[in-house]
Amino acid sequence: MIWDQEKIKAVLPHRYPFLFLDEVIEIEGTQRIVAVKYIGEDEDYFKGHFPGNPIMPGVLITEAMAQSSIILYSVAKPDIAARHPDYYLGKIKSEFFSPVYPGDKLFIETTKVKFSDYAGIADAVTMVNNKIVAKANIVFSVKDNE
Amino acid sequence: MINNIEDEIREMVSKILEVPVEELAPGVDFFKDLNVDSLKAIEIVAAFEKKYRIIVPEDDIPKIRNLGQLIEYTKNITS
Repeated sequence: MIWDQEKIKAVLPHRYPFLFLDEVIEIEGTQRIVAVKYIGEDEDYFKGHFPGNPIMPGVLITEAMAQSSIILYSVAKPDIAARHPDYYLGKIKSEFFSPVYPGDKLFIETTKVKFSDYAGIADAVTMVNNKIVAKANIVFSVKDNE
Repeated sequence: MINNIEDEIREMVSKILEVPVEELAPGVDFFKDLNVDSLKAIEIVAAFEKKYRIIVPEDDIPKIRNLGQLIEYTKNITS
């Protein structure tokens, strides 16, 4: 583990139950990171999605990939991240390949496409047991909160 | 060849901004006239980098304010 959740929380404003990263296990310069999310057996959303057939909602996998993009951005732009700006999701192109079940461990590999002081684009791939379950191209903006 | 590059860039920008090609005159200001924000700006830059396999330095991004400047920029780096 390179970053624990406390360090992740120092960058992301998200908190339980909307924090979808547990660890960062790889950081390759400012280009790529791999983050991990353990999916608990009793996550709240499984109660309704779906009763008797728990599957992690795709939007939450997307959210995990977006959060991972912010972590990568903070690695590439530490001075900006230190000001704790607001990050706004602008556009997402995502694909889903397999369901994610309780007990799965998500490996989210996020790669920089382009970052500026005001916005970023990243590609993210989510894997479970070495199998791709989702992919996304994420465009977000970064704004100082006055 | 030059016209091809111009057409390519115009088409690429038109697609990203969802603005008809005919409305993209060379002098139309991306930010003032077309309301391009930081998200659209980085999308244009990323698409541009991918197409021409180049890296646009971050400092250059605010200098490119219209299609004419983008075309000129492309000619300089691809010539």
